[in-house]
Order: sequence, then structure tokens, then C-alpha cells
Amino acid sequence: MAAIQFRNVAKRFDNGKVTVIPDLTFDIKDKEFVVLVGPSGCGKSTTLRMIAGLEDISDGELFIDNKKVNDVAPKDRDIAMVFQSYALYPHMSVYKNMAFALKLRKMPKKEIDEKVRWAASILEIEPYLDRKPRALSGGQRQRVALGRAMVRNPKVFLLDEPLSNLDAKLRTEMRSQITMLHKRLQTTFVYVTHDQTEAMTMADRIVVMDKGVIRQFDTPQKLYSEPADMFVAGFIGSPRMNFIECMITKKKDALYAEFADHIMRIPASKSKGLEKYENRSVILGIRPEEISAYSGGLNVQESCVINAKADIAEMTGGQVNIYFELGESRCIACVKTERKISAGDEVKLLFDCNSAHFFDKETTKAIACV
Amino acid sequence: MHKTLKKYFPVFVVPVLAAFLVSFLIPFVMGIYLSFTEFRTVDASEWVGIKNYISIFTQDKTFLNSLWLTVKFTVVSILSINIIAFSIALLLTRKLRGTDFFRTVFFMPNLIGGIVLGHIWSLIINGILGFFGVDITYDPSYGFWGLVVLMNWQMIGYMMIIYIAGLQNIPEHINEAAAIDGASPLRTLFSITIPMVMPSVTICTFLTLTNSFKLFDQNLALNGKSAETSLLALDIYKTFYDHTGLRLAEWHGIGQAKAVIFFLLVAVIAFVQLRATERKEIEQ
Amino acid sequence: MKTRKRIFDSSVYAVLIILSAVFLSPVFVILMNSVKSNFYISDEPFSFPRGEKFVGFENFVKGFVQSDFLRAFINSAFITVLSVAGIVVLTAMAAWYIVRVKNRFTKILYYLFTFSMIVPFQMVMYTMTFLAFELDLNSVLGIVFIYLGFGSGLSVFMFSGFIKSIPTEIEEAAVIDGCDPIRTFFMIVFPILKPTAITVAILNAMWVWNDYLLPYLVLGSGENRTLPVAVQMALTGGYGNKDMGALMAMLVLAILPIIIFYLFCQKYIIRGVVAGAVKG
Repeated sequence: MAAIQFRNVAKRFDNGKVTVIPDLTFDIKDKEFVVLVGPSGCGKSTTLRMIAGLEDISDGELFIDNKKVNDVAPKDRDIAMVFQSYALYPHMSVYKNMAFALKLRKMPKKEIDEKVRWAASILEIEPYLDRKPRALSGGQRQRVALGRAMVRNPKVFLLDEPLSNLDAKLRTEMRSQITMLHKRLQTTFVYVTHDQTEAMTMADRIVVMDKGVIRQFDTPQKLYSEPADMFVAGFIGSPRMNFIECMITKKKDALYAEFADHIMRIPASKSKGLEKYENRSVILGIRPEEISAYSGGLNVQESCVINAKADIAEMTGGQVNIYFELGESRCIACVKTERKISAGDEVKLLFDCNSAHFFDKETTKAIACV
Repeated sequence: MHKTLKKYFPVFVVPVLAAFLVSFLIPFVMGIYLSFTEFRTVDASEWVGIKNYISIFTQDKTFLNSLWLTVKFTVVSILSINIIAFSIALLLTRKLRGTDFFRTVFFMPNLIGGIVLGHIWSLIINGILGFFGVDITYDPSYGFWGLVVLMNWQMIGYMMIIYIAGLQNIPEHINEAAAIDGASPLRTLFSITIPMVMPSVTICTFLTLTNSFKLFDQNLALNGKSAETSLLALDIYKTFYDHTGLRLAEWHGIGQAKAVIFFLLVAVIAFVQLRATERKEIEQ
Repeated sequence: MKTRKRIFDSSVYAVLIILSAVFLSPVFVILMNSVKSNFYISDEPFSFPRGEKFVGFENFVKGFVQSDFLRAFINSAFITVLSVAGIVVLTAMAAWYIVRVKNRFTKILYYLFTFSMIVPFQMVMYTMTFLAFELDLNSVLGIVFIYLGFGSGLSVFMFSGFIKSIPTEIEEAAVIDGCDPIRTFFMIVFPILKPTAITVAILNAMWVWNDYLLPYLVLGSGENRTLPVAVQMALTGGYGNKDMGALMAMLVLAILPIIIFYLFCQKYIIRGVVAGAVKG
């Protein structure tokens, strides 16, 4: 029930000697589910902890619900937080863990009881209310941690890598649980993770961070289809996007991308921004899943066929991951094919220029298409 | 947290820090300083440089004797206590019934204070010596062996517990593997068991070492009157408090200098122990 | 094979039983002599208290009255309880602060506390006694303060070791839930420290209860004397002709509380003492 605004926020450690976040400005809308994602050490956790009030803000302003909170103590910010290690109080029962914050706020016992039972029933942890955290499984502890945050009925829910200690199956399960919880509670969620799959599946909008800087802040769909730079392009999507250096040339009326003995006509829709790169090299990005097996025929005017030698071929059920070398770059293609492909085989792969991305070699920024 | 907590320094640290300053840190610094002075009382001292340190070896006859006695006592104690404690620990880890009872009995003397302990043994030793018409103060060697017996009685149970813990840490299948390889029980003991409990041996050796080296209460109660059976700690105490008269200031200075040497010896032992345990941890 | 094992086991038992007898005999001898009449204690210390030698609880009554045993006992109990309570709570607080507030000052403090563990008492004996008198700490309450200082080294060291293993996230959760540092410590951190607190309490209790030299120097052998001081005074001091019976009774009374305490909390005591040994 609150929007969050960062205005030129900076974070420095060790008396200003180490800058973790130089200058951060972005808005999280009310009731939005925003995921902060990035490699470890990118400042995403620090950002979250600044919202929580666990880290001071060295510079700039932070607003929660239109109130400046730079100097507001964590307990007065009306936020709740779920930690990576769950941070349950080991000497208290599940019930007491969940009731603790309410008790400190001197809420009447009856009301506390109602709240705890309400949260416990949603999270299906009612049978464990009298147990100590150590008698619970990882998944159950995770739910208690969520419950402890829920009973507070906070304006903002902060979650710091809450699923990273769970096994793969539980993680998928909890992912949908948390999404459901967000729909149900109708509050602002800020979620930190290093796992781009989590970010893509849960978020309304994603903040991609690197070295304390926001690389892109957009919906999952936009991040995937229109990555702002090579970092975002490489970070979002798995396996990661292939990057191939190519030369832009102009022949007759069309632009062409030339790379490692191949040439590919660039469709008119992508040509506009590339005009000024004529006779210069740029980075061509193509996602593994957008490469297909070439089965002959077809008009390959705005695409090209590549003869690749599979270094490794991984069969993953419906598709084959083929690792191959193209010029200087190592590439991966995720291909649906009936044929059995083994390491060492020659395969014909089809690059479709319509799904390709182009990036400036120096700035790594995406070259605008329109 | 860090920042809010920082403001609570007066609540969280000051009480302990104040007590620590008064009872340890300030007296320690004063002690170092006073070892270079002669003083009747702490606030009436006169700088004499390293004279006290020289006097310990020239003027004072008791220090070297005490040091030698302490070293002898420490070595004998380390050997006897550890060998007996380890043997008992071996017996008690044979999964026999009633081991808990024996453990309780053997550990019990450790809790009795040194003064009481010393008097109990002084009665018993004098009772036994009474049959031969002598007394514990009669011959220094009685006093010495009396202390050794007493120390054994007190420390064996303690070391035994540590050895038991060490022995129980040895995985069962290692002994079984040794048996399958055809090792005799004695061979297993020396080639498997003892190397596996080396960390416990290190701990116990240093514990007996420091405890014997710093022994005071037991010494005072058992044979405190005899100068010939005073260990270092007791000798320092006597240097301070058993002198009166004109040369008191001198003796105080010498006592304090002895205390500094005593401290340095203990510090060296502690340092060696630290290195020894660190190396062990790396090896594991 | 089986008979050999049985013979072996029986001999192990025999050894253990003999050893137990040896270990228990000193206590037994004292117990025996405490109910004998004076004459026979020094003359026949190992004889059974039979017939005319047996005097019932006469010695205990004498021992109690003569040495004002009760007074020394109460002094010791009072000093021990207060010192241990103070040490456990206050050093845990200090250790938490030292571990959590990381700066150069707390680092120095940590090293100083650790360092104090290896300094033998004789090093500060004279100067500390002087300071104690200067600051009027030569009282039952004053010595509690001195014990707090002397006990802080080992206790801060042991608490710090454990606190380092507690994830800070738990404390951050408490802050978000609405705790100030005092509440965070007493409602969250201290309960988590309980196992270490028990160990620290036991180690310090054994030490303070049995300590002789410090209370002797600071409190003297007057009305503030503690139990070990009273025992030492009675058995060596100038009480004129020694009443051996009363003295024996005193020794029994002095060790009885410890043995009872031990039998009840054996598990904690052994675990605590060993934990202290391995860490210290």
C-alpha cells in the first residue's frame, strides 16, 4: 500500500572510501511486485536493506508512501522483511515468532491470535504453531518467515533471496506461493534475487543492476525482447544470448551483417539505427532458442545457414543444446530436432536476422531499431 | 543496527570495562612499572632500573629453587596425570555397564577447591607418615610427592573426560578395519588410537602444564610452611608478604619482578600452545 | 573367545572398583574422622569411628559455632551468586557489543580481554589489592565488582566465540520487528546464548566459590571472610590448640555443598568444564 521513490540515493562504506551505489533513482509503484536482480555484489541487497532501514543512506533521499524515511528507524517504516536464512528466533515457537512484532507493538492478545491464525492458515502451517524452528523443514521455515512478515500487515514487503536455500522443486512451488500471496495481500513487494528465472516468473517489473547501477528497469517481457544493453541481454534468458562480432556493410539498398564467412541481410525494420555503423563492427546478439535447425528448402533471404561442428551436444528431452564455435565466439543453440546429434557432428543451423539484436561495441548499448 | 548499538556503549560495555580496568588492566600496568622500582607501598616507589631482576638471581636464594621445583613438578604431573587419565579413559570407553558411575567418581575431586583439598591430603599424608614418625614438612621430597599425588587426584578426572570425548570421536569402523588388517590390540592402540586422539593429548598436556605451573592454593594448604617445597606462585606470594622490616621495599620490588618473570614464562607457554593447536587445526 | 572376553571385562571392573575406592577414600577418611573424638583423629586417622571413638555430631556443632562457619558460608554464597550473575549477564552484553560493533576500539578490547586470560594472578596480586583498598572495594559487594573484572577475560572470550556464529539476520529481523538494542539483546540474543551462558556460569561459580587468595587479600580473615579463607585460617591459623574434630567437620561441611551441587547438575558441569577447557 505504498510507493517507494529513490532520489539520487548513494551508499558508501568505510567512511566513504568504498562506493557500492553511486547514484540511484527509480520509482516503485504502489502494489507493484518489483524484483531487483543482478550478479552478487551488484548492490541489490544493499538497496533492499536501505529500504528496510538496516543500512544508512549516504546521500540522496528515499521516500516510502511519500514520506522521507532517511532517518526513520526500521520499526517505524511499516515494512516487513523475509531473510535469506529466514532468521527465525530459534528459542521461540512458530506461534511466538509470528506474534513477536505484534506483541512489541502492544496489540491485544486476541487480535494477535487472530492474525497469527489467519496467516498460518493461508500458509498451511497451522499444525506446526507450537514447534520450534529447528523441528521444521526448510520449506516450512520459509513459510513461517513469510507468516512473520504477513501478520504485520506492512505497507511494503521486502524479500532478500528468500528461496535460495531451498531445493529446486520447493523453489518452484514457493515461487507460485509468493506470487499468490502478492495478489492476495495487495501490497508492494520488493524482492531481491540473483536468479533471473525467479525474476522473470514473479515480477511485474524487474530492476537489473550491475555494480550499483541500474541497467534496465522494465517488465520481464520487455527485458527479454528489448534488452537495453549487452549486460541485460546476457543476464536475462538461459542459456545466455550468443554474442558475435560482425561487420555492417551496405550492398545495393540493404544493410548486411558479415561475420566469420557468413553474410546475412538485415531486415529493413532493424536497419535504421545501423545505418551509421556502415563499415564498422558491431555485436550481433542472438538467443540460443532463436536458432533453429535448418532442414533445407525455405527462402533464407533475411537469415543465414551456418555449418557448425558440435563440440558438445546435450540432449534435454524436447531439444538439443549444441555448443559450437563461430569465428572467435563460442555459441550455444537450443534446437528442436528429430535427428540424433552427437559431439563432433556437422549441423546446419539457421540464424534468423529478424530476432537478432545489435549492440554498440564500445558502449555495449543496444542499437535502437526504430 | 551497528550504528544504533554504537550509542549504547555505556550500557553494554562500560560496567565490564570499568571492572576490567580496576581489577586487571591498571594493576597489570602498575605491576610492570613497579618491577623496576623499590616500594614499601604502591604509592611510594623509587626507580631502580633492572636491579630487582638481578637481585632475583644474586640476592634471593629461593627463586631458582622454586623454578626448578616447579619444572620438576610440572613434568612429573604431566606424565603421571595424562598416562593414568588416558588409561582410565580407555577402560571407560569399552562399553561396559556402569561407566557413568565411575566417571562421576573420578571427576568429583576436580570440583573441590584447592585449599580444602590441600588440607584433606595433609591430614592423610601426615596420617600415613605418622606410622614412620615423620611429617610432611620434615623432608622436602615428601612434600613434593605429596603435591604430585594431590594433583593427580584432582586432575585425572578432568583429563579423563577430555580423553573420553576424544576416544568417542574415533569412528568405529577404523578400529574394525585395523582388526581386519590383522593388527593386535596393542598395535591398534599405538598405531590408530593414540594418533587419533592427539588433539586431546595436546589440550590435556597444556592444561596440566599451566595448572601445575600456576599451582598455589594446594601448595599453600598442603605444605605452605616449608620454603623448600614452595612452587613459583607461592614463592612470589611469600616474597611479598612474608617479609617485614627495613628491607621491605626491596623485597616488594623483587617480588614484583619475580611476578613479571612468572608472567612471561606463562605467556610463552600460552603462545606455544596457541601455535601447537593452530598447526593441529591446519593438519586436520 | 567369549570366556576370555568375560575374564577381561571382570578384570577391568576390578581395576575400576579399586581405583574408585582410592579416589573416594580421602573423602571417606575425612567423613570418618569428622565423627571421631579429637584424640583419635591425630593418633589413629585411619581407624573406624567405633565405640568410644564415636562422638556423633558433636564435632559438627563445634565446627559450626567455633569458626562461625555459617557466616563464611553465607559470605561465599552471596559473593558467588552475585559475581556469577553479574559476569554472565554483563560480559555477554559486552561480548555482543564487541562482536557486532566492528571498529578498531572493539578489536583492541577483544585482544585485551583475551590477553588477560594468560596473565597469572601473582602478576597483579599486589597492585590490585592496593587499588581495591584505595577504591573501597574491600567489601562483599566490592569484591563482586573485582570478580567481574577478573572473570571478564574468559567469559568475553567464550561468549564472543559463540556470538560470531549467530547470523546477524536474526538480530536484523528483531530490529525490523521493533526491538531497540536492549530488547534485541535480552529477548533474542541472550536466550540464544543460553548454552554458553550455562558453561560460563559453571566455570565462574567453581572458580569464585573455591577461590582463596583474592578474597583473603581483599576481604581478609575478619567477618567478611569466605569459606576457603575460613578453612585455611582454622587449619593453619593461630586459634591456639587446634580442635581437630571441629576442623574435620568443617572440611566435610565445606565440600558437601559442592558434591550435592555436582550430583544434581553433573551433566552441565562436566559439559561446561570441558567446553571451557577446549576453548580456553
